[in-house]
Amino acid sequence: MTQPSIFFEEVNERQGAFHRRAILLGAFAGLGLGALGGRLAYLQLFETQRYEKLATSNQFNFKLLPAPRGVITDRNGAVLAANRPNFRLMVARDKGVDPEGTLKTLAEYVPLDDIRQRRLLREINAAPKRAPVQIIEDMSWEQFSAINVRAPELPGVTADMGEVRVYPYGGAFAHVIGYVAKVNKEDVEKAGPNPDPIMLHPSFRMGKQGVERAFDLDLRGKSGAQKVEVDANGRQVREDREGDIAATPGKVIELTLDVDVQLRAEEVFGSESGAAVVMDCRTGDILCMYSGPSFDANKFVRGLTGAEYRALATYERKPLFNKALTATYPPGSTFKPIVALAALENGYDPATVHVCGKSWPWGGRVWHCDEAHGALDLKGAIAKSCDIYFYQCALSVGPDRIAETARKFGLGEIFDIGIPGQKAGLVPDRAYKKRQFPKDPVWHPGETPSMGIGQGYTHLNPLQLCVQASRIANGQKALHPRLVRSIGGVEQKSGAAWGDLPVDKGHLQFVRDSMAAVTTTGTAAKFGDLGLGTVRMAGKTGTAQAYTYAGGHGVHGNQGEWKLRDHAWFIAFAPIDEPRYAMSVLVEHGGFGAQAAAPKAREIMRTVLLKDAEIMARVQKPTPMPDLPPETRSDDDLPDAPDPAPTPPPAIGRPT
Amino acid sequence: MTVSALTRPGERDRLIVKLAEIDWVFVLVMTLIAGAGGLMLFSIAGSSWMPWAAPHLIRYGLCLGLMLILALVDIRVWFALAYPLYGIGVLLLLAVDVVGQTRLGAQRWLGVGAFSFQPSEVMKIGIVLALARLYHGASAQRARLSWWLLIPAGMIAVPVLLVAKEPDLGTAMLIALTGAVMVVLAGLSWRIIAAGVIGVLAVAPPFFFFVMHDYQRDRIMTFLHPENDPSGSGYHILQSMIALGSGGLLGKGYGLGSQSQLNFLPEKQTDFIFATLAEEFGFVGCVSLLILYGAAIFMALRASYLSHSHFGRLAAAGVTATFALYVMINGAMVMGLAPVVGVPMPMLSYGGTVMLTVMVGFGLVQSVRVHRYAEVTSGKGTFV
Repeated sequence: MTQPSIFFEEVNERQGAFHRRAILLGAFAGLGLGALGGRLAYLQLFETQRYEKLATSNQFNFKLLPAPRGVITDRNGAVLAANRPNFRLMVARDKGVDPEGTLKTLAEYVPLDDIRQRRLLREINAAPKRAPVQIIEDMSWEQFSAINVRAPELPGVTADMGEVRVYPYGGAFAHVIGYVAKVNKEDVEKAGPNPDPIMLHPSFRMGKQGVERAFDLDLRGKSGAQKVEVDANGRQVREDREGDIAATPGKVIELTLDVDVQLRAEEVFGSESGAAVVMDCRTGDILCMYSGPSFDANKFVRGLTGAEYRALATYERKPLFNKALTATYPPGSTFKPIVALAALENGYDPATVHVCGKSWPWGGRVWHCDEAHGALDLKGAIAKSCDIYFYQCALSVGPDRIAETARKFGLGEIFDIGIPGQKAGLVPDRAYKKRQFPKDPVWHPGETPSMGIGQGYTHLNPLQLCVQASRIANGQKALHPRLVRSIGGVEQKSGAAWGDLPVDKGHLQFVRDSMAAVTTTGTAAKFGDLGLGTVRMAGKTGTAQAYTYAGGHGVHGNQGEWKLRDHAWFIAFAPIDEPRYAMSVLVEHGGFGAQAAAPKAREIMRTVLLKDAEIMARVQKPTPMPDLPPETRSDDDLPDAPDPAPTPPPAIGRPT
Repeated sequence: MTVSALTRPGERDRLIVKLAEIDWVFVLVMTLIAGAGGLMLFSIAGSSWMPWAAPHLIRYGLCLGLMLILALVDIRVWFALAYPLYGIGVLLLLAVDVVGQTRLGAQRWLGVGAFSFQPSEVMKIGIVLALARLYHGASAQRARLSWWLLIPAGMIAVPVLLVAKEPDLGTAMLIALTGAVMVVLAGLSWRIIAAGVIGVLAVAPPFFFFVMHDYQRDRIMTFLHPENDPSGSGYHILQSMIALGSGGLLGKGYGLGSQSQLNFLPEKQTDFIFATLAEEFGFVGCVSLLILYGAAIFMALRASYLSHSHFGRLAAAGVTATFALYVMINGAMVMGLAPVVGVPMPMLSYGGTVMLTVMVGFGLVQSVRVHRYAEVTSGKGTFV
């Protein structure tokens, strides 16, 4: 027993009160359970016939109707991703269904060899009861109708028409648009505890990459429901068309891309590896974003075989990789305009002359240049892409100021253009070294010259370099790239709707002039002339070392083993006098920028310009006629001349 | 190993004596209920151990082990842990408010490494222990009618408001009701009880119209008129009642319930598992299950009745009240007597969190039973 306490009586009083009320609680609990029992008796004993009728009578059930997936178009409405009808055949396990016999019968109508039959049989037996297993898809209309006619004798067999995603341009847009594929377990888990039931639908495909993935929910639409009458065993008896809930189709997504430009990029790259990005440098619209070599996205919709996937995944030119966004490369000499701007912004005199003698001893080692350029000022150094000049220019500015300027031009930034998985790359500065190299947290002076020629830690992706070119070309705005023009008819934020670039306009003009010199007298002198009269292109070449040459690992230029060669870059804008389009081209391990990247840039830029009506008007300017004073004009004087037919535009390169 | 063994201080601390004093009939009852849950989960998965039945039974095994270990934990340890546990619970709830993860639109999960859990579950045990400890040191007079009562009222209000803010009205209501039951058991004056009941009745309508979220209001409206919305949220209740009613006296047979097997029933593995059982085993099966629940409640309440310490009495009774409330609310919901509130049937429904909470609670109840003669300090100084 508890020890006697001074509060003996009080304790007893507490205990007494508790005991009385605990009994009351027990009584309440009993009453509650009794009430539940009473309710059960009412439902299960007295009302049971009513509910039995409800349960056994045919019930209405709703079958999920997948919504047609939203179409993706280019800026002119050309369809880049659409849906086509797909006749499918499915078999489900159920009472009275003999899957083996059924498959044998079906083999009379559609090609089903023994091996496939055995595999399907296993699949059917492993699937839950009444869950249809797809036997074959893309049947011909004849096969589809023949099976439908025999459907009543084939329990468990359904032939229906679904929709399947199709990418009419195959590989050209595979990286940007991505693809849809079967939902897997991780996708369902990621969707949270209550996934959209459509995700479990056998024919549903969800966006796995690119725009298809980023805007999956918009494209998906809202699935509808088909009201069907089912018997107590869940078999469909009748459809009730009036009770259907229509599916809301997915939204149409209009991209800023231009099919012609994109196809031209695909064409000029051929089997080469690399990326090309073109932006309208007035609006930020991305007209082209190609990564090569590409792959046929349609194959992913159907599902790749193991061998197909391995072939894509192990090919050294990495076709599955979006090189425009998810791969970063040293920018090489295309970084020099940034170094020049950083210098100018910090009071550097562009008339400063350095003499290049092909080699330059500094800091205990010898630094090299491609050739002896002689005495150069800043503009000349950009035009000739003189490394020795920029080693010294970079040293006079310092890494932090270069990095600060580089960031103003979008380098090292991830732009929200709606494609997941972008890599930011790196613009290094002193703080970065301190953060990332705890053992050696100091920025060594010897690291600055490398940064000055776009090597060292600096790694960027082609989109960033295109943004850099666009901002230089625009000359005012901190332009942002835009890939998605509208979703479901709702215009997206323009790339020009951002603040001004905090850089002196005169300095930008200086760099534009220097880039014009590159394509007139400099490293890419052949490529300024586009064959479009006064519409010329300015640019900057880049040849970025991929591996260190020491020890014979890397190869300068385009000799030697492919994967050891330099990366070729070219950034450009045109027309020089009133820039409209800017671009970046990367040819992975392509060798010299002027040899491998610049010609591609020229071809793509020509296509862009030829599609611009105002540029065309400028190119095809009619022969200038003397302006006659108005009084000498009279209708009577004019001869009856037919309206001059407009000159047909030059043919745009298009694959046939 | 008679009761007299328990009354002798030297004797009662021996492990064998303690083990013998655990209510093994109670353990059997809980195992039967969990087993029935496993049986139903096997059935609705289409005669498959995965994804529900096997994890359910494995979890039960682990929880049972935990309960037996907790039953051997000295009641004085529980006593000492009462306030700290409550304090941790409050801190965790505050943490959820600040850094919690939002799932299904409610912020009630707290991630710790790979785990995530609901601090409101900690609170279900915490509030019981803390109130029991508080009342252990309070005189009958105070507990009946005094300004002191503001302390327990505040101790209940803090977690209830925090949980309601998540928003998780179901759990908040459960904690509030558990607290209220304990305060009443401790000897609250009938006048206050009457005033409280009238107050709740007066406050409910404005609460319904102005404070509740739309989805909460919808649930209640649907409960009152399920046939207005047969394909929407009224669907749950309607389908559940069809499953129940069509079960009849003996049920349709194991694995043959068309409602549950054909996915007419929503949430059939969690909140509506009772309906599955009702469909396949009928009135007889349901009443058997209710009897098991009744027996569990009775035995747990008896453990509290036998305790010689006020702390033990109130703690065991509080846990029992929580359990009973789970059963009542879920039962009423499934039978169309209460709105759908997302309260599972304890031990029967699939779900590890609630099972863990309930079994930890019963570990406390068994500890109270095993240590019913143990002397717990007077606890005069509150908040020590």
